[in-house]
Amino acid sequence: MNKNGVIIGVIAVAIIAGIAVFSSPSSETVNLDMGRTHGTISTAMGSPILGNPSAPITIVEFGDYQCHQCYNWFHNTKPAITKEYIETGKANLVFVDLAFLGLDSPIAAQASYCAEDQEMYWEYHDILYNYQGSKIDDGWANTERLKAFAENLGLDMDLFESCLDSGKYSKRVQFNTQQAKEYGVRGTPGFFIVGPDGQQQLSGAQPFSVFKQIMDSMI
Amino acid sequence: MVQTIKLVFSNSKYVILAIGIFVPMLIGLLILSEYIFLEPYIVSHIPSGSELGFVLIVILSALSALVIPMNIFRINILKSSKQKMGGGIFGSIIGAAAGACSCGPVGFAVISTFGSVGTTATAFLTNYEIPIRSLAIAILVITYFTTVKSLKIECNINS
Repeated sequence: MNKNGVIIGVIAVAIIAGIAVFSSPSSETVNLDMGRTHGTISTAMGSPILGNPSAPITIVEFGDYQCHQCYNWFHNTKPAITKEYIETGKANLVFVDLAFLGLDSPIAAQASYCAEDQEMYWEYHDILYNYQGSKIDDGWANTERLKAFAENLGLDMDLFESCLDSGKYSKRVQFNTQQAKEYGVRGTPGFFIVGPDGQQQLSGAQPFSVFKQIMDSMI
Repeated sequence: MVQTIKLVFSNSKYVILAIGIFVPMLIGLLILSEYIFLEPYIVSHIPSGSELGFVLIVILSALSALVIPMNIFRINILKSSKQKMGGGIFGSIIGAAAGACSCGPVGFAVISTFGSVGTTATAFLTNYEIPIRSLAIAILVITYFTTVKSLKIECNINS
């Protein structure tokens, strides 16, 4: 009788623990494919893929949310790439953090992954580049503003705040930044354009014509 | 003023010196500020919203190419003191430093090497790129007028 009681007790505890783990906000499911690579670049800890996942070309962007050259690329080059390559299924894009410019840079990157928990990564990413302040660390990307951006997007604020305040994605951003350095990225934005037969590294907020020439030669 | 410029640049040595300052400085700053890219091929690009930065680089390079040879002329020909040379050099250096850091390889190297001190310095130079370049231009303009005035007196040029 005692033996049975112990077994039932253990099972009950296991069930309760399981329910607690799976219902806890800090263990929200993240769509991380740890084996995800593009060319020689591991993008497992980067953003979700923007565009067709089976597109022949992948643009891996290493960026910092406080970098004004990333802002320039986002506003001057990315729209044409999106229109001609991503929306047509010829290419997709992955963003990987190289958060090095200021104290608010890693926090902003973490916030983007908190938005990813609610399947709003790219919307949040776009908001950060649309509302980038003119100065580094002047408060435009502090915790309060990051929460305000999330609220404007209509995210569940309890989930978002618990995620951001707990530093849930701190290690993920650190890992991405470290990995960018290991891949030889020496500034933001930095790119790897990965095609079926090879990859090309690009540095800086280069114009659309450069990306077009490289990608057309890969298709 | 025109006569003073003619006096200095009538000597081809100073014209060559001016070109030798203007071209490398302009191209160097345009590369550092990502208006020119060398790889995968040479391409120039002025992103929308960055026009003012481009104009300031051109003015800074042109003023440096004007002021520095004039001061060297003063020192060489008139054996004047090297004191006024400082304004031209100082203006050129602080103008060049502003914005050269930013998110590019220079800023990355500074931050990687000096840590939080590098981060603060880079942030300052990036945040105040336009005011710093404007200040550098102001220093060069003041140095220019001081040099012209000095040359007029020392060379007895009638304006």
